Amino acid sequence: MANEELKHTLKEQIIKYLNLLEKTPADIKDDQVLFGEELGLDSIDSVELIVLLEREYGIKIKDPKEGRKVLVDVNTMAEYIVENRTR
Amino acid sequence: MIYIHQIASVSPQRELLVASMDEVNESANNVLKVVEPKYEGIPLSVLRRMGKAVRMGVGGALPLIHHLAFPLNGIVIGTANGGMEDCIKFLNQVIEFEEGTLTPTNFVQSTPNAIASQLSMLSANQGYNITHVNRGLAFENALLDVWMLLKENSNHTYLLGGVEEISSYNYSIDYLADWFKKEETSNKVMYDSQTEGTLSGEGSAMFIVNAIPSNAVAKIDALKLMHTSDAAEIAKQLKYFLKEHLAEGETVDLLLSGENGDIRSRHFFEAAEGLLNNSSVARFKHLTGDFATASALALNLACQLIQTNALPAHMIKIDHMKEVKKILIYNQHKLVQHSFILVSKP
Repeated sequence: MANEELKHTLKEQIIKYLNLLEKTPADIKDDQVLFGEELGLDSIDSVELIVLLEREYGIKIKDPKEGRKVLVDVNTMAEYIVENRTR
Repeated sequence: MIYIHQIASVSPQRELLVASMDEVNESANNVLKVVEPKYEGIPLSVLRRMGKAVRMGVGGALPLIHHLAFPLNGIVIGTANGGMEDCIKFLNQVIEFEEGTLTPTNFVQSTPNAIASQLSMLSANQGYNITHVNRGLAFENALLDVWMLLKENSNHTYLLGGVEEISSYNYSIDYLADWFKKEETSNKVMYDSQTEGTLSGEGSAMFIVNAIPSNAVAKIDALKLMHTSDAAEIAKQLKYFLKEHLAEGETVDLLLSGENGDIRSRHFFEAAEGLLNNSSVARFKHLTGDFATASALALNLACQLIQTNALPAHMIKIDHMKEVKKILIYNQHKLVQHSFILVSKP
């Protein structure tokens, strides 16, 4: 299980990369679906999140199917980061 | 002839036509930044991706489009640089991340035509859509385009706009090229300055225009665009312009001057004032700062002055106490691009 500190940092990065000015890390639940109605993310945001993983953690997602499994919520992203990070 | 029906602006002042000098927002570090309103009608998911130029343009125009009394046939925007801040962010990423994976948002928002295209998408307008980027005459070229469109389609209505943002990149380049003042100068005393350079500004002005006179707030009688560095040429062209567009015995009530506190440009404005010695003279760049499409905000002010006939004392340079029914806007950019816009009460 990914640690709480990583999840908090990840939420801060999501807010920064997606310019979610009205949100704070506390507003994003660990198991909240990222591409649902609540956060209102769309396909352009998915590209921003892929860039986030590459720049911050050295993870390159090349297979769209893999991306769909990773970019579900903060939990799935954090777990993937723990297993695959190169920095 | 173009009739202006609705106007909107985003400027460094909360309301562009400020009543007194005490209420004028003061520049900081020789820069006048816009006071951004709470933008209505832009979905949050779209707004959070927008750079300042796109926000000012789209946010300024959408309320006009949503309260339109006519079907809109096209969107014509003038901007010299568009979303330059996002453009530079994107280009820096290309270098920083060695041409690797790049974020799409900065790129999408960075092109000058992002304003007109976002407006088109948000208002579902599939009509004529174009952005003119002719530096200091970008807005005037947009106006000229609308002029020609209305000659061909006299029953059409267009959104016409001018937008510019201050980007740190452009400010630095223009500062190094001596276009902005080196010494701290307040906008409230900028016309007394005896040095080179002006104050940087930004803003957007939007207009709903067509060829229908009824209920119009102002009409544009004539427009002229020039490239010259010779003040005598400006005087000559202005003489022809007035002869061509003023009826016998008709005069200009007010010269709305784009004087900008740069000692190098003063002789152009003095040349214009010399030909209009019976006209009042007012200045506006202490409200807006100087930028490539500042004449769009001047046109907004001209519409308001015609509507209200209340010329604030802080704008007046020469007062002949005339009712404001016919205004000549004279502006210049970087000592070579000049324009005359003749505006009158419909």
